[in-house]
Amino acid sequence: MSEKIFQEAFDAIVNGEADKATDAAKRGLDEGIDPLLLMDKGFIPGINKVGDLFETGRLFLPALIYSATAMEKATEIINAAIPVGKELVSAKILIGTVEGDVHDIGKTIVVALFKANGFEVMDLGRDVPIARFIDEAEKYGADIIGSSTLLTTTMVVQKELEQELKKAGLREKYKTIIGGAPVTQRWADRIGADAYAQDAGDGVKKVKKLMGK
Amino acid sequence: MHIAHIVASGMGGIRTSGDLVAWMQMTHKMKIFEAKHYVADKLGVDIIDLTNEEVMRQLREQLEIGVITSIAGSPKGLRAKLKIAELLEIKINSVNLFKSQIT
Amino acid sequence: MTYRILTRMGDGERVTMSAAEIKEDISEGIRDAAQSAEIPELTAGESEQLFNIMAEPSRTVSVSAGEEVVVTDDGCSMSFYAGQDSSGIGVPLSRMQAILTYERACAADTTSIGHSDYSFKPVKPIINFEMNEYYTTSMMTTAPLFYGAQPNMGLYFQPDGPYPNPADLLPQGKIKEACETQEAAAEQLRNDIVFVGKKLNSIGCEGLNLDTCGSAGDADLLAALQAVADLKKATPDMPVIMGGSGEFVLGMHGDVAFDGKRLAGMYPQDQAKVAESAGASIYGVAINTNTNKSAAWNIARAVALVKAAVAAVDIPIHVNVGMGVGGVPMMEAPPIDTVTRASKSLVQIGKADGL
Repeated sequence: MSEKIFQEAFDAIVNGEADKATDAAKRGLDEGIDPLLLMDKGFIPGINKVGDLFETGRLFLPALIYSATAMEKATEIINAAIPVGKELVSAKILIGTVEGDVHDIGKTIVVALFKANGFEVMDLGRDVPIARFIDEAEKYGADIIGSSTLLTTTMVVQKELEQELKKAGLREKYKTIIGGAPVTQRWADRIGADAYAQDAGDGVKKVKKLMGK
Repeated sequence: MHIAHIVASGMGGIRTSGDLVAWMQMTHKMKIFEAKHYVADKLGVDIIDLTNEEVMRQLREQLEIGVITSIAGSPKGLRAKLKIAELLEIKINSVNLFKSQIT
Repeated sequence: MTYRILTRMGDGERVTMSAAEIKEDISEGIRDAAQSAEIPELTAGESEQLFNIMAEPSRTVSVSAGEEVVVTDDGCSMSFYAGQDSSGIGVPLSRMQAILTYERACAADTTSIGHSDYSFKPVKPIINFEMNEYYTTSMMTTAPLFYGAQPNMGLYFQPDGPYPNPADLLPQGKIKEACETQEAAAEQLRNDIVFVGKKLNSIGCEGLNLDTCGSAGDADLLAALQAVADLKKATPDMPVIMGGSGEFVLGMHGDVAFDGKRLAGMYPQDQAKVAESAGASIYGVAINTNTNKSAAWNIARAVALVKAAVAAVDIPIHVNVGMGVGGVPMMEAPPIDTVTRASKSLVQIGKADGL
C-alpha cells in the first residue's frame, strides 16, 4: 500500500498537481506511513525528477513552479506531522543577484526549488547592493546568504560580500553559498564562501549540508 | 579571441577570399563547401587556393575587388563591392542603393 | 611516470591529465550530448581525431589547409574600444576605425557594427544615428558589414520596460499573468526588430545579425523568429543571421510555438530548423561551457551537438565561440590554447560551416 502512495506522491509532484500532492500526503499519514519515509520515498524523488527534467530542457518554468507549489503544500502537511526534534531540514535563506547584474532567471529557479524543499526564502531580486544583502540578512534572521551572478565582471561582488561580512564582524554568523554560470568551487574556495552550487538541485544538497543535515 | 579563431580557422577575409565566401553564405544560404566551390569557379582557381595569399593577392588586384594593403586609387569599399556583386552575380544591398543613386 | 597532457578546465584553470583521462572525458562529453539532445554519438574515429587535437603539444592548433571556414563576428570590433564589460581593450577608436582595423589588420571575413548596448530596444529611438553610422561605414568596408543587436527581451520587463516581470510573477504562482506579459513583450520586441531592420535596409544594410536569440526564454526566441519571417517578406535582399543563446531554449513561457513547433526545450538541431524555416541565412548555435568539466569534455560535447545541427538543415551553421560557449572557457581572457582547440575541433569534426 505504501508503494502506491509513494508513487502517487511522486506523480503529483512531477505533474505539478497540488491537490493530489496534499491528498497523497494526508492519506499516507492516515495510513500510518512514517512522515519522513513518505517524504524520502515519494515527494523528494518527485522534486528531484522535476529538477532533472528542467535542467535538460524537458520541463519548463511554469511547470516547475506548479511542481514547486505542490511540493510546498505537501511539505507543510508532512512537517506538521513530524515529531519535535525530527523536523525536516529547515533554513532561512536570503538570496539575490549581485549589484551590476540583472540576470535573475537562474536565481528564480533556485528560489522555487529551495521553497519546494521546505526552506524559507527571502528573494531580494536582482542588482542587489552588498549593503542590502547584509542589512536584510540581519533583519530576516537568515541562516544562509546566497548570491548569484551570470557575468565574469560581477563575480568579484561575491568576493566583496565576503569581505564586507568580515568587516562587519558578521562572517561567522552566516553560511554563504554562491552560484552562477562563471562560478566554480575553485572560486568559492578562493573568496572564502562556504559552498558553491552548480545548479538549483545542487544548491538544495549544499544547503542541507551547510545546515548539518 | 576572435583573432585566435581567425588564425586557427578563418578564411582570411579580403587578404584572400573570406569575404567572397561569406557573401555566398549570406545571400544564397550556401553551406561552406558549396560556397567555396561557387567562388572558386567564379575566380577560376582551385578551392585550396581560396586561402592562398600568393594566388589571391594578385587575383584580387587584377579583378579590382579590393586587396588587404592600402593602394591609392585601387578599388576598396563600395567600389570593390560593386565589382564583387558583378563577379559573384549576387545582390548586395549597399551596392544596389548606390547603383540606384547614379542611374 | 605517466605522460601528462597540459589542458584546461571549463573555467580556464590549467590542469594536466593523462591520455586515458582525456579519452574518458571525451567519451563522457559525447555521451552527455547524445543523451541530452537525443542525437547520435561521434564515431570512434572522430573521438580519436578529437583526442589528437587535445593531446597536440603545440600551444595553438589550426585547421588543415583547405578546410578553413568563414568567421562571422558578433561585435568583435566593439571590443577594440569598449571596456571590460564587453571584454573590451579600451583603445580610443571610433566605431568606423575599429571596424576598418578589424577588416584590414585582422583579415576578418565579415565585420559588424552595433550600438554599445547591443540590444534592439535602445536602438529604436536612435535609429537615425545608427543608420547614418552604418551608411558611412558601409561605403568604406569591402567585407560584408552586418548590423548586430540582441533581441534581449528582458529590457521590456519592469524595471527596464513597461511589462510586469515574469521573474517576479512566476515565484508568486501567477503563471497565467507571467505568460501573458511575455506574449505582450514578445509582440513589442518583434515590432521593434522589424522597425530597426526595415530602417537599416533602406540605407543598404548588407546583413542583419540577431545575436543571442532566446536569452530571455522561448518567447524571446519566438519574437526573433517572427521578426525574421516578417523581414524576409519586407526586405528580401537583406540577409539575416540568427544566433542562439544556449544549447536548449529555456521554457520561461513553455507553450509558445513557431511553425507549429514548441520552442521551449529545443536543442541546436531543432533551433536551426526553425531558424531556417523563418528565413535566416545562417544560424549560430550556442553550446554552454560547463566550468566544472574539462576542456576535453566541453569540446567533445560541443562538437557532437554541432555535428547534429549541421546535418539537420540546409543553411550554413556557424558556431558561437565566444567566452563560455562552444567549448571556449568561461573567463574574461579565454586561453588561446583551448580557444584554438575548440575552433579546430568544431570545424574539422563538427563540420561547422563557420564560426
